[in-house]
Amino acid sequence: MPEQRKTFHQELDEIRDEIVRLAALVGEFIPRGTEVLLANDMHGAQELIEADDEIDALTLRVEEQCYHVLALQQPMASDLRAIVTAVWLTGELERSGDLMVNVAKAARRIYGASLPARLRGLIERMSEEASRLMKYAIDAYVERNASLGAALDDIDDGLDQLHRDYIEAIFECHATHDLGLQAAVQLALIGRYYERIGDHAVNIGHRVQYMVTGWLPEQTGAARLHARAGEGNGDQGEGAPPAP
Amino acid sequence: MSPGPLGAVAVGPVVVLVGAAAVLGALVGGLVVRERARGRHRVRLEQVAARLGVATGAPSANGDDELAALERHVRAIRAEADAAADARSLLQQALDTLPQAILIMDSSGLVLERNAASEAFVAARHADALVEAAVGELVDSALRGEPSSRTVELFGPPRRVVVITTTPVATGSEPAAVAVVDDITERRRLEAVRTDFVANISHELKTPVGAIGLLAETMQAEDDPAVTARLAERVQAEAVRVGRTIEDLLELSRIELGQLSELEPVAVADVVTEAVARIRPAAEQAGITIDADAVDEGLVVAGEHRQLISALSNLIDNAVKYSDAGGSVEVGASGHHGEVVLTVADHGIGIPARDLERVFERFYRVDQARSRQTGGTGLGLAIVRHVVANHHGSVEVESRLGEGSLFTLRLPVARSTVVAPPEPHDATHPLPERL
Repeated sequence: MPEQRKTFHQELDEIRDEIVRLAALVGEFIPRGTEVLLANDMHGAQELIEADDEIDALTLRVEEQCYHVLALQQPMASDLRAIVTAVWLTGELERSGDLMVNVAKAARRIYGASLPARLRGLIERMSEEASRLMKYAIDAYVERNASLGAALDDIDDGLDQLHRDYIEAIFECHATHDLGLQAAVQLALIGRYYERIGDHAVNIGHRVQYMVTGWLPEQTGAARLHARAGEGNGDQGEGAPPAP
Repeated sequence: MSPGPLGAVAVGPVVVLVGAAAVLGALVGGLVVRERARGRHRVRLEQVAARLGVATGAPSANGDDELAALERHVRAIRAEADAAADARSLLQQALDTLPQAILIMDSSGLVLERNAASEAFVAARHADALVEAAVGELVDSALRGEPSSRTVELFGPPRRVVVITTTPVATGSEPAAVAVVDDITERRRLEAVRTDFVANISHELKTPVGAIGLLAETMQAEDDPAVTARLAERVQAEAVRVGRTIEDLLELSRIELGQLSELEPVAVADVVTEAVARIRPAAEQAGITIDADAVDEGLVVAGEHRQLISALSNLIDNAVKYSDAGGSVEVGASGHHGEVVLTVADHGIGIPARDLERVFERFYRVDQARSRQTGGTGLGLAIVRHVVANHHGSVEVESRLGEGSLFTLRLPVARSTVVAPPEPHDATHPLPERL
């Protein structure tokens, strides 16, 4: 029996290592996709789109590993939360990779368009901020740091603000005829992709909180709902999930 | 027989003899057992000595010779082990000095040995995790007896290029593999600098010379004086352009050689005033204002007046060229902890992050089209870098695309100079807001 538990924990470690590798691939996609966009690099765009297959394959492999452990080891408590978190994380990371593929595809759509320097600068900054958030998210996961996981929500405010500035700058450039409508629309979508990557990093932070403490931010909302239902029924909201 | 005073039966001489014989027998038995035990120990000692290859000579009666020989041998083994540990430590220290990461792994993927540089690739995160994964894959190949190599490009930031090489080795009967991770980022950068330099210098010199030749040929066949005059103007412009490039190249070459004619106390206020005066006409023509802070007269650096003016005017010229009409350039100078800090800030087009570390290279241009339009030679920032190196200073750049750039020159204060305290100076002449 002790031997079996050792194997189980080795499997958990392997899953964590694979998640770290998946995150590293996605982390590389962010500056790489940004460079493709800013350098009008069509060859690089094609390579990035093809490289997404590696992320997809790794995602499936990690998920399979998780299901295998769930089925054969029937983990409990924190071990179960670690596996469930790993399954969640694969989804968040794979989607983040897809968003950078979208950036590369958008770069192809606006090939040849001249991007005003201000927009280029804001794209660089959004990319740096998205990379930073993703790094923190993975640091929180590896270190099982629930506080850092929780802080990501606030750290993401910086990226949200940059996104707002960027949209404003697109409007200004379009108004001054520095930017055509087609390019403006694509650039607005690109900004949204970076902003979404930030949201995925925040989601990873929430999942890390769940892995470490067993609590999810959504439980606060669920508790409020139960409380309201309790008030409506005249009881005191018994059975509502506890607040953290 | 009647009982004795202690209740014992009175014993006769026979009983006493029997008792004495029993005691004697017990003593002899004990001695025999002890001797047998010693004999066994001696045999074991001889066996151990034989196994260790220790020549003990003729066995002694009590085994002391064997023990002494064994002790000598154990000491010899210990000395050998210490020497091996010292050699291993020396080897480890030598490995730790290598910039390449070196890992020796067994067939189960366990790291047997590694050096300090490999730390980044064990239980790694972020981009290093990809290197670790690639090492694992290549080690698998090496364990199958196939040496492998792969180049991994990492986008970072910072961007890096590493080459991983694995080679099969053997530890006893077990297969093992050595992995070497070599960071070739700097080598790649230098190769790019060299290649770009050769391409750029030939372009910078060949283009105007070719244009002059072509224009001269056209002039020869032209009868219309108006067209000839226009062509002559173009020839003159191209000649000025190539002349400027050659002039900058010569200046750069002189500065590169570190030929400081004389290190003399130079008033920073004079350098700022002259550099600004040199660029102001061009700035006014472009509709750009240059705001220079009043500089403390006591601020003095040890250097060459001409080179310092050349460096600062190049920075101001650059700031003006890459600013839009109606913009402004701020020039500041202050004393900070034994050094003079000169800053030139603009609110122009800025520099992309990926070009920041290359802008000081000769002929490197962020935007080829725009920099040629502005009439730059592509040598200005290279001159700045070499001037500050000659003066034991440093130059830094911070920039954001679309927001502007800030160049900061740091030069050591001349030793004999008394510099005004930094705090009041800062309050009076604040630096331009940092980006």
